[in-house]
Amino acid sequence: MPKHIVSGLKYLTAVELIREGLSQKEVAKILEMDRSTVSHYLNGRNLSWNSIEVAEIITKFCPKDFLTLTYALLNDSEKTRVIVKTCSKKSYKASVEESCIGCGLCVDTCLLNAIVLDDLKARIDSDWCNGCNMCRDVCPTDSIKILEVNNGY
Amino acid sequence: MVTNTKEVKGKDICVQRISPEEKRELAYKDDVCIGCGICAKICPTEAIELGEIGAIERTGVDESKISIDEAKCVLCGMCSSACPVDALDLKLDEKSIKDMAEYPQLIKSAEISDDLCIYCKACETACPRDAITIARILPERSKLVTGEIEIDKDTCISCGICEEMCPADAIEMEHHEPTSSDPTVSSDITVNKDKCVYCLICRKSCPVDAIKAVCRSCSYGDYDLNPEDSETTGSSFIDEEACVNCGWCQEICPVDAATVEKAFEGELTIDQDTCEACGACVEICPCNVLSFPEAEFGEQSDKVQADETYCIYCGACENVCPVEAIDVKRTAVKHTPTKSKSWEKQLSELKT
Amino acid sequence: MVELKVDQDKCLGCGNCVVACPVNGSISPETAGGHGPKTEDVIMMVENGVIKLFNEDKCTRCGTCPLFCPTDAIFLE
Repeated sequence: MPKHIVSGLKYLTAVELIREGLSQKEVAKILEMDRSTVSHYLNGRNLSWNSIEVAEIITKFCPKDFLTLTYALLNDSEKTRVIVKTCSKKSYKASVEESCIGCGLCVDTCLLNAIVLDDLKARIDSDWCNGCNMCRDVCPTDSIKILEVNNGY
Repeated sequence: MVTNTKEVKGKDICVQRISPEEKRELAYKDDVCIGCGICAKICPTEAIELGEIGAIERTGVDESKISIDEAKCVLCGMCSSACPVDALDLKLDEKSIKDMAEYPQLIKSAEISDDLCIYCKACETACPRDAITIARILPERSKLVTGEIEIDKDTCISCGICEEMCPADAIEMEHHEPTSSDPTVSSDITVNKDKCVYCLICRKSCPVDAIKAVCRSCSYGDYDLNPEDSETTGSSFIDEEACVNCGWCQEICPVDAATVEKAFEGELTIDQDTCEACGACVEICPCNVLSFPEAEFGEQSDKVQADETYCIYCGACENVCPVEAIDVKRTAVKHTPTKSKSWEKQLSELKT
Repeated sequence: MVELKVDQDKCLGCGNCVVACPVNGSISPETAGGHGPKTEDVIMMVENGVIKLFNEDKCTRCGTCPLFCPTDAIFLE
């Protein structure tokens, strides 16, 4: 069953990436699949519609649940990053206040590897943030602010 | 989820956080710790607590001087940067933050210049932490005296008076029981010229004037002595782990060979009216700043005295005083620059 | 958690700890001079020939009293 959900998630990601203008070959490389499988997916073959429905529901979970569930299913941070970022419809703006002590707990927590330490201060790459808020929740000094950006939807 | 693990080895503590990105490890060494509690003061998550230092240092309480709550510790390293004696050390992927420029470091040092040191060992004796070792090579005694000595063995009656009198144990006789084939009491007498200092006592005490000796140091002064032969050489060593940069070596050195830089500036005040002379502060102070004046047996001892010259303003005495008679103020915390506003703020809050 | 404890069976009732205790001295100054305290506000006092803790909450665990007890009847643990 988890395998089917993963297929559903990969399908949704593939569709979105193609829509963004990537070639089937590029999509296959990113998702580490055969190009023929991507082609099958896009033609609606080898995949139950039910898997896609379940995957769609998962993408609509709150960002933290979507991310942690996807990570649990794939157990691979690179693919989790691609799937979650591609299927998330919202953008976020993350900022770190001066009260940050550079403990790196957020760096270790972020499943999207969006945070690095710079001169004892966390720096969050908003492009990769999916708004899961896990970094904000572990921050011992409440220094992280994550805001949803209204991007026209 | 990343979680911390704690390992306790004897009284040493190690807290770790391992993630795919990096390994953070905070190591605490109890024998280096002076119980000042600065780590507990600077910890932004209140993960460190200072133990019952008085009980630990003075009675048989077998505990670490601090405790670290691994559930609260975020391994930020502030305790490691602020510890005045480096009892705490945070390592990121096995590299100490004390070797990383982005982390502020307390500016403190102690050095002995081998160019100036005359190896008198005053600092070694005075150091309250036994952190200094002075290894010295003394000049050869025989090179500092010059003279001549000769024993006329035909005149010598082997009485052994010179051997007994010689203050340098330089004369040796080979005693033996006389026999009919060798009716003498000694087979030989020799002078060890490495030991002889040409004091002439043997010559003066010989009952038969068998010894001819002259001291050239006396007649020619220092002319035929090489000044280099009289120099004491050696080397000095400061054990950085034990050193607390108190400044005793700098103060006691007669030739200004020791230089100490202290991380904190401040003020130490003792309220003599409140002091109950229990001695807890005297025992806890890592720098021998505090002492009681000598009291006659049976007399009540005086209140505690302080010489701030040696104080590092760590505050251990203030923490341990049961009647709040001691006030330690820190007016400056000297550290290398940091771009982090929060670190700057936490370090400056050590000022009181 | 380090606590101040007494073992009354070992106590000789000498009162060394009462006199040595710096907190006792600040509460009842005559103890520091070697006399018995005038108030039960002190941490410990000899009562009926043995040591008794009256206000152990005032103890700062400075470690002074055990140093003066000849029989280890008062201790921190």
